[in-house]
Amino acid sequence: MENNNPLSPHLQVYKWHISSLVSIATRITGIINILVITLICIWFASLLLGESNYKIINIFFQSFLGKFVAIGITWSFSFQILSEIRHLIMDLGYGFEIKTTNITGTLVIIFSFILTVLIYLLGRQFIL
Amino acid sequence: MRPVTKKWLFLKISSLILIPLMLWFIINFVSFYDKNYQEIVKFLTSQPSKFFISLFLVIAYFFSALSISEVFEDYIDDEKIKNAAIKTLNIVAIFIPLITIIIIFNLGL
Repeated sequence: MENNNPLSPHLQVYKWHISSLVSIATRITGIINILVITLICIWFASLLLGESNYKIINIFFQSFLGKFVAIGITWSFSFQILSEIRHLIMDLGYGFEIKTTNITGTLVIIFSFILTVLIYLLGRQFIL
Repeated sequence: MRPVTKKWLFLKISSLILIPLMLWFIINFVSFYDKNYQEIVKFLTSQPSKFFISLFLVIAYFFSALSISEVFEDYIDDEKIKNAAIKTLNIVAIFIPLITIIIIFNLGL
């Protein structure tokens, strides 16, 4: 049977707003996060090969680039956590007004950076 | 219940479960990403991290398969390509966490 459902308009026809930016960023970070999780699965699998094979990954993560990548992953997860909370609140029927979506979208962007710093400090045991 | 409603419910329930798991995972990732071999094996083979990592992987791939399939439905016009892409996605979403969980449970042996 032929599917006559309309396709979503492509990104270049959108006029950019905070809400569309957050929505598209949520999809992009979602895809980045699952790719990162897949790489972490490969990393865990490499542990089976023994300690000598693990050293390459260890050297990478101890480098400046490795730390930068780790912080980038932390931001990507932070953004998705906050954006999913925003979506769940909207699913309950709150925050659909244009002004409110702009405010919550801006809050997601700002707090994703704050949460990244908090998670990094917590994970490195600088706090608690 | 209509299939789309069921899919939406699964997406929301998995999202709700995934939020605390993502927070737990990313805090632990930050704490272990530059640790040595023994420390990472110790972390992965001890409880409750073994249980939470396994649960996190299952829910994360389940949620991602549902949400990425939505992107395919929104942007792929050709039915055959769309169905093939969704089937491949579902197979990958079962295969990768399953293999990784087996590996984690065999690490300490």
